[in-house]
Formats: sequence, structure tokens, C-alpha cells
Amino acid sequence: MVMKSEGDVKRLEKLIGLLQSLHAEISQLTRKSANDGLNIFKLRIVNKILAEADTILLNEYKPLENFAGFEEDALPTNSDVTMVLALYMEQAERFRSDNVVYADYEWNYVVNGKSSGIESSPPSTIGAHKK
Amino acid sequence: MALIRPRLTDHYGILRSQAELDFAIPFLDEDIPLYVDPFMLWRSPSQQDRSLHTVLLNAFNHLGYLAKNGLEARAVENLVAASECEEVGLGTSANRRGKRIGREKANEIVSLFKRIPQYGRAGFRHIEEIQFFVDGISKDRISDLTCSFLKSFLIDFTLQQSEKLGIPTQVTDVNNVYDDRKNAFETQRGLALPAHPRTGSPLLFVPKRWLRFVPWLNYDDYFEKYCPQDEISHSPEELTRVEVLNYNREHYGVIDHYIEVKERTFEDCHNDPLFSQIPVTFAKRKLSTLQRLATGKDGGADRKYETLVGQLLPSLLYPKLDFAQEQARTESGVSIRDLIFYNTASTPFLADIHRHYGSQQITIELKNVAAVEREHIDQLNRYLAEELGRFGILVTRNPLKKAEMRRTIDLWAGQRKAIVALTDLDIAQMVELFESKQRNPIDVIIKKYTEFRAKCP
Repeated sequence: MVMKSEGDVKRLEKLIGLLQSLHAEISQLTRKSANDGLNIFKLRIVNKILAEADTILLNEYKPLENFAGFEEDALPTNSDVTMVLALYMEQAERFRSDNVVYADYEWNYVVNGKSSGIESSPPSTIGAHKK
Repeated sequence: MALIRPRLTDHYGILRSQAELDFAIPFLDEDIPLYVDPFMLWRSPSQQDRSLHTVLLNAFNHLGYLAKNGLEARAVENLVAASECEEVGLGTSANRRGKRIGREKANEIVSLFKRIPQYGRAGFRHIEEIQFFVDGISKDRISDLTCSFLKSFLIDFTLQQSEKLGIPTQVTDVNNVYDDRKNAFETQRGLALPAHPRTGSPLLFVPKRWLRFVPWLNYDDYFEKYCPQDEISHSPEELTRVEVLNYNREHYGVIDHYIEVKERTFEDCHNDPLFSQIPVTFAKRKLSTLQRLATGKDGGADRKYETLVGQLLPSLLYPKLDFAQEQARTESGVSIRDLIFYNTASTPFLADIHRHYGSQQITIELKNVAAVEREHIDQLNRYLAEELGRFGILVTRNPLKKAEMRRTIDLWAGQRKAIVALTDLDIAQMVELFESKQRNPIDVIIKKYTEFRAKCP
């Protein structure tokens, strides 16, 4: 799975930012009350972001097979949502790490198989096989 | 099986919860355990309510006018007619029937206009004041007097509400409607009002905003906080009500002071809701007691469990489900305790239950056992019929074992009956949602039902 344009890079970076913010917010709720249900408004936002993630994290990067967002009737708890967000964050980071390369003393995103010149942060230990 | 504690709206299939309506929904077989407090009209910000209070006082004080002009007999007759208002069905009667006061008692009330100079001169400011002078007059009588004198308004209010909700009406006569032009009671004929389905007698609705458990001006409050007990008797502990009433008749100033204080603090006077939820801290305490409780019957654990769940669930499920009553039934020599809720289809899920399982009411059976057995499922199954519908909830301590879960699935497959089990964990989650308000506690039931249906063929 590769990124094909600068737009793909921007979408991935946006997704990582959103997942991190959501995870931080809902982790706080989980620490307060793990078994409490997440309200419908937050749940819909989570589902929207996960749906967007599913269009970016494909094939081997898909975090969960047969998972198509949270069902409102299933009353997902804070801890359920935190766990799933953590899985998505991890796969998003793996995808990012697999698509960066070290060139000219800096880390850049790989677009269409070559260094794009778009600077990235170093890969985490999950990915990094192209170092 | 007939509906448990049927209400007028349920009888006609009008799916509205009590919280949504402006009036107290009448029960068909018993009274609503609240009373009209005329002080609620006096303290109301609405000009209409305050005007009605004036109408009430004018009507009542007219009795004094009659008495002073030698027409005591007519005053007494009017007061006796006003002393009961069966159409509204408020109070504690188990059969929606009350008794009027006797002529002697009416005479005693009418005589206040002569006996207490202030009333003779300026009349009453609040009709509740009669409680402080006449024995045997309390909240129910005050409420009935108010409703009788304001019956014409209540008829209009009832017509308006019936039309709005589509409650069926029938042409009927209403007795003892006060006409303030003639200052007399008369029968109004040919009114299209809701009627009791069995007896055919007319029913009148009362605005919820007027209802309280006890009037703002009441004898017990006066006696406890304002009555100079030491002055009336050297041994206040032996003081009788009659002695206090006699004292009041000779010392109007004490009552006058009490009324002034209560009028000054009118902002603290609020109507009482027909149902009030328990506070969150109370719910959490109940849950923690429930979680520590042993299973079985030792030490009355089953009774304690039933009491705790019986206190928790009506509050957790309000206002989505209106609590009807706790009911004990015996089946095959086994005592079973149920909680019955009115299903007003107030959410898509409840509407679905109403439509698919015919549940006008929802039965919740309580079982404080370590493991639910097949017979427990069968007991609830036999109970699920007709108006109660084919949807039931079993509240127990632990998840159903595989065989019992299979039994509930078979019941759905064979008879399309759904039995959902709620455990301690589910109740804990409901309490958590009750506190956090992030979701509604009824969502836990929806979750359990969704899980159950996912297992069904």
C-alpha cells in the first residue's frame, strides 16, 4: 500500500492528529468511568473518523476485520472506544512508518515509491523497515 | 390479562407519558394520590390562575354573604354540594368515590363567617384557613371544594386536552357546576367529556401545576411551627386538635400571622411531581447494598433485593417508562414479585416493543438467585400475555446459563416472546449512566435486547 499524492499525505497526517486527540479525550473519560457509555454525539464523531480511517488504512493496515464502526444500540463504553481508537492509532502509525524514508539527512514521506521531499517525523519502532 | 393499574390514556391506546402531559392522567380504578392546593393558584405567575383563585374566594365568601342575610340553609346546601368532586378523582380513595360533608359540618364552616369578625367583615383570603377552625377538614376536602367551585374551568381544560390528544368523549351531564353569575350550583347537560369506560361517569382533568401532596397552608405545619402550644395547654404533649381549633377561633391573630408568613415565603411553594426520581447518591448507595447482598432467601435477602431493585428501576427508567406498580403474584405456590411499567412508546425501541410484542405494559420480574433455572423462565413466560405483551425482563444476579439462554431463544423462535435478562453488572451500568447522563439508562435494556435478538434465529 502506497501513497500516491501529496493529498494522501495530508489526509494521513490529519487522521493521525484526529485519532490522537480523540484518544486523549476519551482516555480521560475512561480513567474517570470506564464502564460509562459514550454519549451519542461523541459516538457519531468517533464513527465518522473511524469511517475516514477505513478509507486510508486498507488491506494489511486495516485494524479490525469486520468492524464497521460502533453501533449506538450496543452501548459502547468509554473503555471499548479507547481500545479501538488505540488499535487504529497503532495501524495509522505503522502505515506512516512504512511510508517514510531517510534522505538528505531528514525523514520524508514516500509518494509513488520515491522520496517526496515532504518532511515527516522519524518512524516508530513498529514500522521503520525502510530505514 | 387486564392492564395493571390502568390509566385513561392507556385504556384508549394514547401513547403519552405522564411527564409529557399538562394534567395528571386519571387512573380508572383509584384516585390520583395528590390534591389541588388552592395556594398554587394564588402564588402562580399566571394571571389566569390568580383570577381563578379570586373566583374561588368570591364563591366561598358568597356563602358568608348568604349566612349574614339569613340564608344559612342555602349556604349550607351549596357547601355540601361543593364538598365532593368525584369527576377529578384526586385523593386516596380506592374506588374513585368520596363522601360529601354532612349538614352539621357545613353549618360549622358557614358559622365561621359570624363567629370570627374578620371573616364576617372581609371574608377569607384562602379557603384553606377553614382547617384551622373546623375539625375533620383536611387536604382532600380543601381540594374537592376548590375543584367544585372551579369545575367550569376544569370542564374547559378537559375539553381542550381531550381534543389535543384525541381522547374519546361521550355526551354526558355534569352535576354541581358552579355558576358565578347565579352563585349557585347547577347541572350542565350535553357536554362531550371523557368518561370512565366502565361506569360511563364523566372524568375531569386537573392541571399538574396545581397539585401537591399537602397544601402549603396546612394544620400540621401550623401546629408544629407556629401554634403557641404552651399558651393553649400546660401540658402541650396532651394537646388535642379540638383544643387547638377552639383556641384558634378565639385568637384569629395567630392564624393571621401564620398566613402572612406563608404568603411571604410563597416562592418556596412548588407543585409536587407525580413521580420523583431518587437522587444519584441514593441510587449509588442502593447499588452498593445490592452488590453486597447474598443470593437466595437467607436473612430475607430476596425481599431486600426486591426492595432495592424496586426503588432503583422506576427512577432509572423515568421518564421513558412510567412506573405503574409493584405487584406480588403467586404461581404454583411460589411468590413472585414484579415491577410493572406503562409502555407509552416514548422511544423508537419502546415503540417497537409495543408494536411487535403488543406490550402496553412491561413486566420486570425480580429473582435473587445465583442461577436462573428453567422454571423461572417458564414463570415469566406464562405471565406474558395479552395487554402485558410478549416482552419481559428478568432482573437477576448473574448472566443466564447456556441452557436457560437457549430456552429464551426457543421461546422467541416458537412463540415470538422475548425475555431479556439484566444482571448486577447491567444495573451497575444503568446507575453509572444515571449519574453521568451520557446515555439513558434504558439504553442498557436496548443493548441487552439487541444482543438477545442477535442470538435468535
